[in-house]
Amino acid sequence: MKTLKRYAAGLIRFYRGNPAGIIGSSIVALILVACLAAPVLTDKDPNKRVARGHQPPSAELVFGSTRAGKDIYTQVLYGGRVSLMVAFSAAAVTTVIALAVGVSSGYFGGRIDETLMAVTNVMLVFPQLPLLIILAAFLGQVGPLVIAMILGLTSWPWGARVMRSQTLALRKKEFITAAEVMGESRWRIIVVEIIPNLISLVAGMFVGTSLYAIGAQAGLEFLGLGDPTVVSWGTMLYWAQSSAAFLVGAWWDFVVPGTVIALVGGGLALINISIDQVSNPKLRTGRYLKIWRRMKAETEAKRREA
Amino acid sequence: MAFLIRRLAFYVVAIFVAITFNFIMPRLMPGDPVDALFAAAGGRMPIETLEAYKEMLGFTDGPLWVQYLQYLKSMVTMDLGPAIMLFPVPVTEVLGNTLPWTVGLAGLATLASVSLGCFIGLYASYNRGGFVDRFVPFFWQFVASMPQAVTALFVFFIFALTLKWFPLGFGANPDLDPGFNWPYIKSILHHAVLPMVTLLVSMLATWIFTMRNAMVNVLGEDYITMAKAKGLESRRIMTHYAARNAILPVVTAVSMALGFAVAGQVFIETVYNYPGVGQLIIKSVGARDYPLMQACFLLIVLCVLIANFIADMLYVWLDPRLRG
Repeated sequence: MKTLKRYAAGLIRFYRGNPAGIIGSSIVALILVACLAAPVLTDKDPNKRVARGHQPPSAELVFGSTRAGKDIYTQVLYGGRVSLMVAFSAAAVTTVIALAVGVSSGYFGGRIDETLMAVTNVMLVFPQLPLLIILAAFLGQVGPLVIAMILGLTSWPWGARVMRSQTLALRKKEFITAAEVMGESRWRIIVVEIIPNLISLVAGMFVGTSLYAIGAQAGLEFLGLGDPTVVSWGTMLYWAQSSAAFLVGAWWDFVVPGTVIALVGGGLALINISIDQVSNPKLRTGRYLKIWRRMKAETEAKRREA
Repeated sequence: MAFLIRRLAFYVVAIFVAITFNFIMPRLMPGDPVDALFAAAGGRMPIETLEAYKEMLGFTDGPLWVQYLQYLKSMVTMDLGPAIMLFPVPVTEVLGNTLPWTVGLAGLATLASVSLGCFIGLYASYNRGGFVDRFVPFFWQFVASMPQAVTALFVFFIFALTLKWFPLGFGANPDLDPGFNWPYIKSILHHAVLPMVTLLVSMLATWIFTMRNAMVNVLGEDYITMAKAKGLESRRIMTHYAARNAILPVVTAVSMALGFAVAGQVFIETVYNYPGVGQLIIKSVGARDYPLMQACFLLIVLCVLIANFIADMLYVWLDPRLRG
């Protein structure tokens, strides 16, 4: 409970006077809530034909209709559920693997470190996108769940390296030595002493990987490697492309999903930058210097009180 | 030297991992992949070729390790057989035709984005806390966070379809005579503008941040304070003292970025119908030409590894501490 409260307080401190963080989080939260509330916001079915094909946006059809006469507004809302679910679950898988690999590598060192880092470094030099394409091609038109798994299982190496170097730095700190001398078990040290100190990295990684996964999923589906019967932002782009929406002038068919993807991406990027700026004092500019100084002053004041 | 040899050994291991990955994937698929290939060729492939093909891919009778050695042999000797999708053109020829387009595009775009990004980054750090420093990197980060597929579609829609400033696709005007003549080169450049702009948009933010952050780090060094104390002009300190050292991480990152630009061009080439490796890999997926697809993958991996190795060499050249 106490730690929860501390995180909540930290979160409030993070957002205070941090416009990029607030704007980014609001965009993402707004779109997420809209997608979750899809049945309330629309009474149509994303898979049903409701109008003639390629109708432009109007009062009746806010974002127009697809070639097959489906309502784009409804599709964006329901498709967002799939796309965001894929992005966040891929990010969760990636973050957990990166944390596990990075922390054990950094804390245990020795042969464990060598083996894990050898695997990580080899994975790191492989270009991600072609690897994803090959995997998706061999698995056949992959559904959202498989895409989430592929993305989650292939994007951890960079994060693992970052976590490792941070763990190495932490390991030399006095409070870790103190815990070791007191005879605490290694797992307890990792879970109680090290991981809480990596929390800003974990948050940054989760956001960064979500951003990457939104784009990668949309890209894979756009290229026709996903399951085209599932409604998601990526398959919307795929259908827009394959029904030649461009050439017949039905711009709304891809501008709408494209813009939503871009908005979510931009929102996540803003959150990521503000995490970076707050947790890495050297990179700060203008306003962020102020947030940092205030956070520092507050922590120091608390330390003096204690 | 020891450093370079160690890196080289690492890249050789990486290539083996890629080849092994290519070897394993078709064997995990249900059914006989070669029969699937034969079906995909749609009767264009004579039965003798099929037999040769099986042997080349290691689909021979015998234990798995014999198959693996067979596969390794044909990979190392570059005996990749004909492309099924474009039967009977050899795979190596198909790849050779696409590679210059991709590498050229990636090279030009990397060069342009690095020069522009470094300039903006330098300017931002010079006027720390000013307008450019506070908003431009954020703006580009926001733009760059759009997935490349979306950026490519938007740029294509605005500049090629609506404004009609640039052609709708292909690497050059097919009516022109290919060769080293001005109209053809002009056509290539004209066709390359939009794909380049798309790549530029998605890469620029990285360079602005890399350069700016490197500058911010360097500006905190003692020798900068010393230079200031000597009363040197601040512009001179920026260009002659700080930028020279800040550019080191940028230079080494450039060649790696080149490799990843090659890998990342899949969307751009698909949207602009550009005749590069990225488009080829997607076409081969569509045609179920798995060996061609895997050859594309191997080629891209090779490009990335070579770029990495160039980065290592640059690193050694720039940082005397590594030259033991």
